[in-house]
Amino acid sequence: MEANEITEEMYQHYLSSLLSGKRLQCADMAEKMMRKQIPVKNIYAGLFQRALYQVGELWEHNRISVAAEHMATSITEGLMNRMYPNIVSAKRIGKKILISGVEKEQHQVGAKMVADLFEMKGWDAFYLGAGTPIHELIRFAQETKPDRIGLSLSVYFHMEELEKTVKAIREHFPNLRMLVGGQAFRHGIPSWLKTLPEVMPVFSLDELEKRIDSGNI
Amino acid sequence: METYKKQGNAVNRESLIRSAEKIPPASAKAAEEYARKKELLAAKVNEIMVQRPDILYLAGEKNMEMMKDNHSNHARFVASILRYFQPEVLTDTVLWVFRSYRSRGFHQNYWAAQISTWIEVLRQELSPESFASVYPLYEWLSVNIPAFSNISELEFQQTPEHDF
Repeated sequence: MEANEITEEMYQHYLSSLLSGKRLQCADMAEKMMRKQIPVKNIYAGLFQRALYQVGELWEHNRISVAAEHMATSITEGLMNRMYPNIVSAKRIGKKILISGVEKEQHQVGAKMVADLFEMKGWDAFYLGAGTPIHELIRFAQETKPDRIGLSLSVYFHMEELEKTVKAIREHFPNLRMLVGGQAFRHGIPSWLKTLPEVMPVFSLDELEKRIDSGNI
Repeated sequence: METYKKQGNAVNRESLIRSAEKIPPASAKAAEEYARKKELLAAKVNEIMVQRPDILYLAGEKNMEMMKDNHSNHARFVASILRYFQPEVLTDTVLWVFRSYRSRGFHQNYWAAQISTWIEVLRQELSPESFASVYPLYEWLSVNIPAFSNISELEFQQTPEHDF
């Protein structure tokens, strides 16, 4: 076990604090991890993401309420906002990405993690949150002229909205590459997306980081 | 793990996925009709289910709103899976639904009552061609209720207690 890894004990302590609504304890733990030089991406994936997945499982098994689940999500977003000023790279590379959940989608933490990862790598990330209407997303893209658009989909029954969004982006920006990701793709991508070479599926923060670092994005 | 015995054959998540792969795909026209009518279909299913004399036994006394949510989400999910079919997504989503509702007190018999109601409502509300095209998915759900129920029951019993 390396000194800059998140131990199981640290994770369990964090999860317990998160489910108890102890925001300050959660913030203190996240800040200590940053001081220990644990990479932010590891904190996002190994602490925040893992904990929220487990929170979802606990709800599934009726161990916690919907309210507790929402509280955990809210605390996590708050922690990410606290960390944000310290993680943005001072070196900017002059590239822009627009990141949004598809229309009707209500989940946004994953998309925010992706936006923050791009900021860490020097990109300017326009993060629109969950459920942006298609016409508003297009209008915002016309104003900001991003180099890439990232779309997040958590709930499978919003796949039609993703298809409509991808179609609208292709119509307005024929040469613009897109990234898609989220829990809806944990079993892979549906056949219609495989036919679109300008759409790149991304399945994890690790994969995304490697792609950004290698320029394959 | 995730296995029970039925007529000498082990049924688990993987075998459910393999059987789901054999469901004939719905036609684009049927998927479109289902999607267009999904709110109406869910409303009809609610109407029939809430009038059942055994509904409190099937769903649990405090679960009427959750049951209606399930029917609404069922319609949205099926509309999506008919159009963007992925057998793993279908199987894991149904398992997730069984686990979530089992843990909140829904009786195993709720699923048979619900699926047979869906089939009757679809028969009434869809065109004969669309019904015939959508029916294999519902037949698969109906036939596999015991498997989904048993797998989710085993998982529920194996879930460790958490002390938060």
